Amino acid sequence: MARSRWGASWLSRGRPDHPPVVFVAKIDNAMRLVALDALAERIGLKRGQGAAEARAMCPSLDVIAADPPADQAFLEALADWCDRYTPLVALDGKDGLFLDITGCAHLHGGEKGLVSDMLSRLFALGVEARATVSSSAGLSWAAVRYGHVDVIAPEEADRVLAPLPVAALRLPEETAAALERVGLKEIGDLLEAPRAPIARRFGSLLLLRLDQARGQADEPLSPRLPVPSFSAERRLAEPLIDEEHVLELTRHLAKDVRSSLERQGEGGRLFELLLFRVDGRVFRVKAHAAVALNDAERIAALFRERLQAIHDDLDAGYGFEILRLAVLRSERRDPAQKDFSGVPDESQPLAAFVDKVSARFGPDCLMQAAFAESHLPERAGGFVPLRNIAAVMDAPAQGKVFPEGGAFPESGVFPESGVFPESGVFPENRPLRIFAHPEPVEATAEVPEGAPRSFNWRKTRYRVTRAEGPERIAAEWWVVGEDHPTRDYFRVEDQEGRRFWLFREGLYEREVTSARWYMHGVFA
Amino acid sequence: MNKTMGVTVMAENAVQRQTILSLRETIARIENGCPPAAMPTTLAPDPAGFRREGASHRKALPLGIPPLDGALKGGLPLEGLTEIRNAETRDAGAAAGFVTALAVLYQQERKSKGHLGPVLWISQALAAREAGHPYAPGLKSFGLDAERFLFVSARTVKDALWITETALSVPVFAAIVLEIRGNPASLALSESRRLHVKARAGKVPLLLFRQAGEEEASSAFFRFRIRPAPAGERPLPDGSVLCGSIGHPAFHLLVEKSRAYASHDIFLEWNAHDRRFYPIDERRNAALQTNDQPENPVDPLSASAGRSRGAQPLGRLLAFARAS
Repeated sequence: MARSRWGASWLSRGRPDHPPVVFVAKIDNAMRLVALDALAERIGLKRGQGAAEARAMCPSLDVIAADPPADQAFLEALADWCDRYTPLVALDGKDGLFLDITGCAHLHGGEKGLVSDMLSRLFALGVEARATVSSSAGLSWAAVRYGHVDVIAPEEADRVLAPLPVAALRLPEETAAALERVGLKEIGDLLEAPRAPIARRFGSLLLLRLDQARGQADEPLSPRLPVPSFSAERRLAEPLIDEEHVLELTRHLAKDVRSSLERQGEGGRLFELLLFRVDGRVFRVKAHAAVALNDAERIAALFRERLQAIHDDLDAGYGFEILRLAVLRSERRDPAQKDFSGVPDESQPLAAFVDKVSARFGPDCLMQAAFAESHLPERAGGFVPLRNIAAVMDAPAQGKVFPEGGAFPESGVFPESGVFPESGVFPENRPLRIFAHPEPVEATAEVPEGAPRSFNWRKTRYRVTRAEGPERIAAEWWVVGEDHPTRDYFRVEDQEGRRFWLFREGLYEREVTSARWYMHGVFA
Repeated sequence: MNKTMGVTVMAENAVQRQTILSLRETIARIENGCPPAAMPTTLAPDPAGFRREGASHRKALPLGIPPLDGALKGGLPLEGLTEIRNAETRDAGAAAGFVTALAVLYQQERKSKGHLGPVLWISQALAAREAGHPYAPGLKSFGLDAERFLFVSARTVKDALWITETALSVPVFAAIVLEIRGNPASLALSESRRLHVKARAGKVPLLLFRQAGEEEASSAFFRFRIRPAPAGERPLPDGSVLCGSIGHPAFHLLVEKSRAYASHDIFLEWNAHDRRFYPIDERRNAALQTNDQPENPVDPLSASAGRSRGAQPLGRLLAFARAS
């Protein structure tokens, strides 16, 4: 709030002359204070106080309604920003972040250096923050809220914990209150007390929290985002603004990633480019690859299309200071050697084309035909997003579908996954084009169950000269239920030679009294 | 004196003729065709397989129908732009059928050379909404290798053009179909020229399917207009036909733009089993049409009918007074 009102540098320039600020929200049918700034704290306001009471204490108070989603978004943005230190960032409630900096600290000048670097950067961004490094998440949590220590060595844990209030153990409010009632106000009191009676009286959670704070019980952090298996990053002395430079650097990063991918014999399918902007905003650009990739040029080409597609959303501002390329999903990639026959492998350019198009228009834009075992026309065939390029490129024409020996597999299922077997129902008379929603037509027939003589479609009258049908297709009761009407399909031709596919929904006398007609498709 | 005059005149004539010939050649080269004098040679290629001087530089896919192949100067182009249009949305089924048939032919041709031939169909979303989505079982029963059929629905014409250009640079596809509705300003002469050049460079046949579009200047080799035509009847094993049945799909093809000197129209039938076109006997077709006259025929009125300045029907006024 302060940042948006006074600018990002309000902390360093000093707070402008402004009355105390409090945030209120409705708790138990009363407007109560949920957050307040330092000035308001100084004049004696407290969390949980009624808004009217606070106003009485300080008439010039600036009261603002709390906005939890905005707070959450801000915390997530901060978590994104913290990705610069470690990929393991976990959210903690509404106002905290856990960073697992195991193995990362030395990159930022040790633990002390990391904390001071982080705090000074956050200070410059206008965020008041406290940070503590310790060997366990619980201890860090306690120290950062109730203590004033930067870095805690493992052997100091008990000494730091002892003077802290019991609330620092992340306990439910009732437990903390109960502990205080019996005089166990500080954690130090608990450390010496016998464990069994405490567990009996206050539950096992208390001991668990205590052990976690002392580093005797493990506490897994759940990172906010999946941790990439491979990544490479580059920190820049001078921020980058130009898109071309960003792409150039991406290519270099791709080369770095490539070596580690090659060592594992894998190729990336989903890449993510993280762009850390100078002012703390982080952009995440994802790009899908159609086949497992480890070629730097191809990876950079993916991002070229992607960046062009999101061109307007990507505001470089004062430039990007850190770039990181991460491989979010990778799979086994069989290194193939070019053969000497001179026949170019056709799947490579196709994969490149698929990548280019899906980087620009989304991964579901390219579609391939799919068939299903169904009599209902709309279910029998359709288009699904292209997932398996090999299915397009490895053809039955090459004799791959039938296994060696030429025998049809007994199970009826072909061993190659992704190659569509000749399944599905293929009557010959299926239209070339089909309407996604059958369009109602007004048709007249000579006899109720017969073919139409003429019909009105899109405000034009068509006279039927020839008709074939009916082809009766009953609804699939196991899918849509038993009361779905039956359709009678007719293939009709009008005077000028247009061929249409009409159907009448419902059987006379058995299902409906007056049937409706629909146009479902057009033939060539 | 006279002699020398004659010689100079002759020489001038020869120079002029040379200039005219070279200009003609240039024009022919620009038009990707062959010079008029060399026309017969394209129809009878050298048996030795050498390309003759002045013969067509174009690779063509013959359709197997001599009059049509003659009008197309050897057949469908194997690289470059071909435009297919239909006048009304309701005729889109017929035109889509013709385009699909061409795609089948291209795919077959490509397969005969040992390549896999995926067909890419790029469709403007609006076109699919108006005239229906391609239907995979229908494509399959039309003779297309539906496993090697990729479909893209583009929101705008600009997106569709971008995808087309990207696809043209990839030497994979047997044919690329670009389906556009109407005559958008973003696909004018210069854009069609661009597509044509790119398709020739990429050695890919590009079919521009203009749904419900007007005639418009374009750089395509050919522009066909497709009208629906009544289909034949289903043949029976004994050689007769099944009365009242609807047989193979039929088209009325008008060659609107070509290098030939006159426009050409022909009735065609697509046989999905043989994967080729057959010409329909026009007399039979005419007989079919007269059979199917509506009960109360109404003369179609021309746009100027009923106006005072409309053209008078012939025979209403006599030009000369009778002699007797």
